Amino acid sequence: MSDVVLQSIVKRYDAMTAVDHVSLTIGEGELVALLGPSGCGKTTTLRMVGGFIPVTEGRILVGGRDLTHLPPNKRNMGFGFQNYALFPHMTIAENVAFGLEMRKLPKAEIAAKVKTALDRVKLSHLAERLPKQLSGGQQQRVALARALVIEPDVLLLDEPLSNLDAQLRHEMKTEIRTLQQQLGITTIFVTHDQDEALSVADRVVLMRNGRIEQQGSPDDLFGRPASRFAAEFMGVTNLLSGELAGVGRFRLASGEEVRVDPAGLSGELSLAVRPERLVLDGAEEDHNALPAVVELATYRGLVIDYRVATASGLALIARRPSPAVGGPAPLKPGQPVRVSWHPNAGTLVAA
Amino acid sequence: MGLLAVNRIYAAITALVLAFVVLPLGAVIWVSFFANRILSFPATGYTLDWYARAWQLDSFRNGFITSVETALVAVALSLALGVPASLALVRYRFPGRDAIQTLLLSPMVVPGIVGGAALFMAFIELEILLDVDISGTLPGLFVAHGLIALPWTVRLVTASLVGMSPSYEEAAQSLGAGRLTTFFRVTLPIIKPGIVAAALFSFVISFIDLEKSIFLVGPGRTTLQIALVSYLEWNLDSTVAAVATVQILIIGVLLLVSDRYARLSRAF
Amino acid sequence: MTSSASSGATAPVATTSPPAPSGREGRRLAPAYGLTAPATIFVLVALMGPLALMFRYSLNRFVPGQMMVEALTLDNYARFFADSFYQEVLGTTLWISALSTLLCLVAGFPVAYFLVRQASDKWKGRLLLLIVLPLLMGNAVRTAAWMVILGDKGLFNAVIGAVGLSPVKLMYTPTAVVIGLVSVLLPFMIVTLQSVIEGIDANLESAAQSLGASHLTVLWRVVLPLALPGILAGTMLCFILSMNAYATPVLIGGPSFHMMAPTVYQQVAKAMNWPFGAALAFVLMAVTLVLTTTANVLVQRRYRRWSE
Repeated sequence: MSDVVLQSIVKRYDAMTAVDHVSLTIGEGELVALLGPSGCGKTTTLRMVGGFIPVTEGRILVGGRDLTHLPPNKRNMGFGFQNYALFPHMTIAENVAFGLEMRKLPKAEIAAKVKTALDRVKLSHLAERLPKQLSGGQQQRVALARALVIEPDVLLLDEPLSNLDAQLRHEMKTEIRTLQQQLGITTIFVTHDQDEALSVADRVVLMRNGRIEQQGSPDDLFGRPASRFAAEFMGVTNLLSGELAGVGRFRLASGEEVRVDPAGLSGELSLAVRPERLVLDGAEEDHNALPAVVELATYRGLVIDYRVATASGLALIARRPSPAVGGPAPLKPGQPVRVSWHPNAGTLVAA
Repeated sequence: MGLLAVNRIYAAITALVLAFVVLPLGAVIWVSFFANRILSFPATGYTLDWYARAWQLDSFRNGFITSVETALVAVALSLALGVPASLALVRYRFPGRDAIQTLLLSPMVVPGIVGGAALFMAFIELEILLDVDISGTLPGLFVAHGLIALPWTVRLVTASLVGMSPSYEEAAQSLGAGRLTTFFRVTLPIIKPGIVAAALFSFVISFIDLEKSIFLVGPGRTTLQIALVSYLEWNLDSTVAAVATVQILIIGVLLLVSDRYARLSRAF
Repeated sequence: MTSSASSGATAPVATTSPPAPSGREGRRLAPAYGLTAPATIFVLVALMGPLALMFRYSLNRFVPGQMMVEALTLDNYARFFADSFYQEVLGTTLWISALSTLLCLVAGFPVAYFLVRQASDKWKGRLLLLIVLPLLMGNAVRTAAWMVILGDKGLFNAVIGAVGLSPVKLMYTPTAVVIGLVSVLLPFMIVTLQSVIEGIDANLESAAQSLGASHLTVLWRVVLPLALPGILAGTMLCFILSMNAYATPVLIGGPSFHMMAPTVYQQVAKAMNWPFGAALAFVLMAVTLVLTTTANVLVQRRYRRWSE
């Protein structure tokens, strides 16, 4: 087990910079999720760590050893591919044995290790099958077993859940996290799905345009987005632009003035408020409250999303539990409401 | 006009066109069994004698042997040159890649007669320069037929490599395999159908070549196609029909086998 | 490289690989050149070199008895365009090729359309195979087959004789050559058109129909314009192949029927007039190239308007 250090790595293609001076340390046994939209450089970063893409500038250290220029087969890393990349012409057992054969282990030892690895993912009974005879979830488990059986220093996972359906995705998420903690293996996990990142990672690294936008614990990122981009990516739908109007006061672009948590920011700002934090009736004393009208109600199963608008044209999304889970009776479009929120429910971010 | 009527018109045209393309081959097969001494219709009886006679004719027997030898060498040459080149063309982006790809496919574009004439002249110049026989020898034919087969091999093998995700090779590398091991244990087995199809197809393309070979055959070194054409220039009888039938059979089997590995219609 | 493209399992390779890197990453490209070098050198030596040599020879002078005399003259090309015999050869080659190509297009389109839109997948595969197989039987065999049918005492005359008609002279006529060429070229046309029609969304046709277009209008206003690049590709392929045809004109056209490819062979290998034979070969290539490029440019110009 080893830590991974990325020292200001850069990937440039002619005029385009895909990864722009990314520095990152992944502690021993830590699971870090690289999160971001497509084109943000997260997969390129992962593939540079894996050795599949040459690094333009910077260094990659694993356990203090510089392997920036080593080919992938000398890096001792386990790589999980989005499409699993199980060799179609080999059985499951042969797939798992491949890496051990490359390490020239004795036959008996290979057989024993393959058995243990397949046991660990509960697939020993399918050892003699071919990959195409397995379901997507089973293939993903084999891919994991194959990557882990070589006892890699680092596990790299590229969108490992994106080809699975919702139910399996949840199962595999848990399974990956469990395996990773049992083995205590340093892991980098690339995903574009914030839920996935939040639920598996010790630390989430949000990337944008080849740079790190924000990093921190899942709760940091979810609760305290540091930028408008981070807020949007973490699912904050209400982003109200405006400017500070004195200590703890914020003037919205639409004209209303609301109270906010003081923050050490200035200039063009946005107030980020999650739709769950907006209250549509029974405003309390210390809340910011604005009169508004319901424009649209969208039923989403557990919750109902309401789009409400103030007279000044400010549109907000508010979310309430639906009646099916004990929420209040639904509101109708056209119905007047008071939309309100506690000042510390909103976060100020740079616009 | 109703939908059904429209469909029938298309089906009818298709049937006619198919007949036009396929029936002549049927006719030649039929004629090869005629007992008539001079080819005419209808048949006075049926016999297998023409097949025996065809095999007794030196030009056909030797031509057949030369053609098979040449085609086998052409296959070997085109695989040895074409598979590595295809690998580089698909898996690497490098300056000059498009130019090299165009160049490797160009023997398909340059007309056979033109390429054959040029090769013929070059061979004769080389002969004068080095004082060795080349044109009219087997090695001369091998070079020409390697050239004929190469673009088809490159086309079929690159097609199967494009269809193979590079992540298989990356997986092998991340598990510790070097370049050669990765190629032989992962890439090659996965694209094997494409390579088999390329080999069979190259064999056929070389076997039936006429335009390039016609410049390069010499006395006693004639391919079957040239032997057929020289024979046809003077006579048309059931002997030649028998040879044609055997060729149809052999090529038919080869192509049906290769179609199992890769759709033939995609080669064009 | 975008992360979605690099990790997409189904993305075509062409888009998953980064553009050409430079600088010290160049070292990693050495294998690419090593792998392509043998094939590249082979084609350069066995095709491009000889072509260059032949072009040089086309500028030499032919002296009977001496074969070839070193020179730098355009006489051979001038002779081609001055001699009415060779102009006629080129003329014959052009019109025979144009007619054969046109017939292929007319007969091939309905077949390609049928295969894509109406045949079941299983039948499509079988029929395509049946269309492609004869193509690979070799020109010698296919020509022999047509000789069996078109000969004076051939199958065709036997059949019409049986119903009381007098025999027709077909062998050694341009008609017979066109018949033979069309049967050689049709499969190329069908396969090319089929792959293009395959790429046209069938819903476009349904949409046109639901808006009131008849089947012919759908073909004319929707399928044809969209299939134009493929039609062009198929047409050019057939035209080039037909311009360069050898076996069909020699065997079915007979000794007094002249097309370009057999004439090149005759000059180079029989008359041993290399300079003139070389010039003929390059005129043939040049004419083919100019005509197909012109057609390409004309169609591309129309096509670009809605593809952008």
